[in-house]
Amino acid sequence: MIGAAILLVVVITLLIGARGVAAMRSTSDFLVASRRISPTLNAAAVSGEYLSAASFLGVAGLVVKDGIGALWYPVGFTAGYVAMLALVAAPMRRTGALTVPDFAEARLGSRRLRTLSAVVVLVIATLYLVPQFKAAGQVLRVVSGTPYWVGVVVAGVAVSVTLALGGMRAATYVQAFQFVLKLLLFVGPAIWLVTAVGPTVRAAALEPVEFTRFAHETPVQFRFATTLTVTEPTTVDDGGAPRKLVPGEYPVEAGTTWTFPTGADVPDVGGSLPPGGDAWTRPLLDTDGGGHPVLSTLSLLMALVLGTMGLPHIIVRFHTSPDGRSARRTAAITVALLSAFYLFPVIYGTLGAVLVPELYLSGDTDTVVVALPQRVDSGFTGVAVTAMLSAGAFAAFLATSLGLLLALSSAVAHDLLPGAGLRRLRLAPLAGAVVIVALALPAVNIDVGVLVTAAFAVAAATFCPLLVLGIWWPRLTAVGAVAGVVVGLLASVGAIGVDLFLGAPEGLAASLLGQPALWTVPLAFAVMVGVSLRGRPPAWAAAATLRLHLDEATT
Amino acid sequence: MSRKGPKRTTVASPQTRLAMARRSAVRTEPPHLGRADLERARRIRRVQLRAALTALALLTVVVVGLPLLLAALPELDDVRLAGIRVSWLAVAVLPYGALVAIAVVQLRRAERVERNGGEEPR
Repeated sequence: MIGAAILLVVVITLLIGARGVAAMRSTSDFLVASRRISPTLNAAAVSGEYLSAASFLGVAGLVVKDGIGALWYPVGFTAGYVAMLALVAAPMRRTGALTVPDFAEARLGSRRLRTLSAVVVLVIATLYLVPQFKAAGQVLRVVSGTPYWVGVVVAGVAVSVTLALGGMRAATYVQAFQFVLKLLLFVGPAIWLVTAVGPTVRAAALEPVEFTRFAHETPVQFRFATTLTVTEPTTVDDGGAPRKLVPGEYPVEAGTTWTFPTGADVPDVGGSLPPGGDAWTRPLLDTDGGGHPVLSTLSLLMALVLGTMGLPHIIVRFHTSPDGRSARRTAAITVALLSAFYLFPVIYGTLGAVLVPELYLSGDTDTVVVALPQRVDSGFTGVAVTAMLSAGAFAAFLATSLGLLLALSSAVAHDLLPGAGLRRLRLAPLAGAVVIVALALPAVNIDVGVLVTAAFAVAAATFCPLLVLGIWWPRLTAVGAVAGVVVGLLASVGAIGVDLFLGAPEGLAASLLGQPALWTVPLAFAVMVGVSLRGRPPAWAAAATLRLHLDEATT
Repeated sequence: MSRKGPKRTTVASPQTRLAMARRSAVRTEPPHLGRADLERARRIRRVQLRAALTALALLTVVVVGLPLLLAALPELDDVRLAGIRVSWLAVAVLPYGALVAIAVVQLRRAERVERNGGEEPR
């Protein structure tokens, strides 16, 4: 049933895509289609493309794992469109540029900057795509019990087939439909959950107590190896005979299931705090346990707010607006649509902390949304709601992945290997999907929300200064832009790489490396301005900037 | 075949068309603006910049001010509104209302600036 629901989403998406393309067979329809799209429809399409697995699954998972402070993620995801509306939406549309590499060449006339921007697109798209594939694999594993790698490969095949059949993403209707679908599949189950759990759980969700004892016999499936610290004698069943554990550290092998009896003390697991504790209920985000929640929260928000304007799959959507004015309206309506969606992750997060807190032990918090319904109702309704949520999560994965994969392949085929024919443009997404699948396989223990945030952090430290200064500051030079983008890229990728692969040091450094935007963005701006001031912009730079602010009525 | 009609044009999927058109869509020659347009654009840019900075300042109040406020006033964790902690409402609900309000105000202001040709909106 759950598999059928996911398949249904894919088929409906394909059908609408095919209808959209079929309906536009005549040339005039074709040319007019992109001009007639209203800001509201386009905003729904932007939201449909934007609401990824990180929004659908990741935010609720991070609430269970990191606490109420994780709700700043969706605030930042939404606030990014306010920044976009105020700073770049209309002028960016007036350049006629479809991508940041296009913008770089149109505004600064530099081929070098164009190639560099394409590399940045590649980095952002990869960082954004890997967690999408990871989430798809995880959802399929939870709902159908297949191994993780099967889910990832199935996801890769689904995306490749959809792309090969062609044209799907082209239709704005598809993305607008995706938004409505995701909204319904997210809000409906949330309302059902709130009513079905009953008053006791509702009260417990609002006044959580720290998860220190198992409330009932609880099997915990460990997907990857971890170490548990047992603090009082406990009897667990790890598949064989019940085993008595004395206090101490116990390694857990990947793929094992430990069943804890009712009332047993919850062991500690490295790195994260149990849901429901005092730190958990505070509305600030302390990533990596760095101990600087205010700094981490502000740095996260800076990355999300300023990174949104540089996301390659979103910028291309704004091109469907006929002019700068409607691009601006699109951004404003998107703020409202996203706000409606993001009122609901908190429901899954707080209920998950009460009903499935054991997910934090196994590091499976990203699956909280799909794990909840069957915990509440083990009958048909529970299965049906799980099916709805899995379908929605898959829709989220599909919409975002297709957009990103196309942005990525277009950057490769147009900007990095110029002169490539249509054939290579068609092959690029397939090659991209293979690479992303290969990267997603070892990424199983990295949170979806964390990797997506890394993509925002890179965008904020590279494309944000490029776009903002390019639009508002006539003195920006190509050399300055290149210097700023290089510094921003190296600083943010370096910080993220150290944090992910080498493990961050303790304390302040952990916060600054885990959420680097707070220092990388000002650094990139400073380098761009500093280097530009030493050079001279071309004579036409002033007119090139001013043109972007002239409304369509007069141009 | 010899029927007179609109000129025949190649039809491709919009994605392909956009991808193919990208080379030529980008303006490469320096843009030209007439003296009047240049003046008007200067005025608009100045006023739009002021509007954008106002919107950003308001945005900063939400995404910087609110976390600082919540950090400074941990007592808000113990104040309940309809049974829900005020500090939770301050992250889960309040920001969205504020963001939508800022977006609406900024959109109206930016459009008014363009209508008035860069005269200070009133």
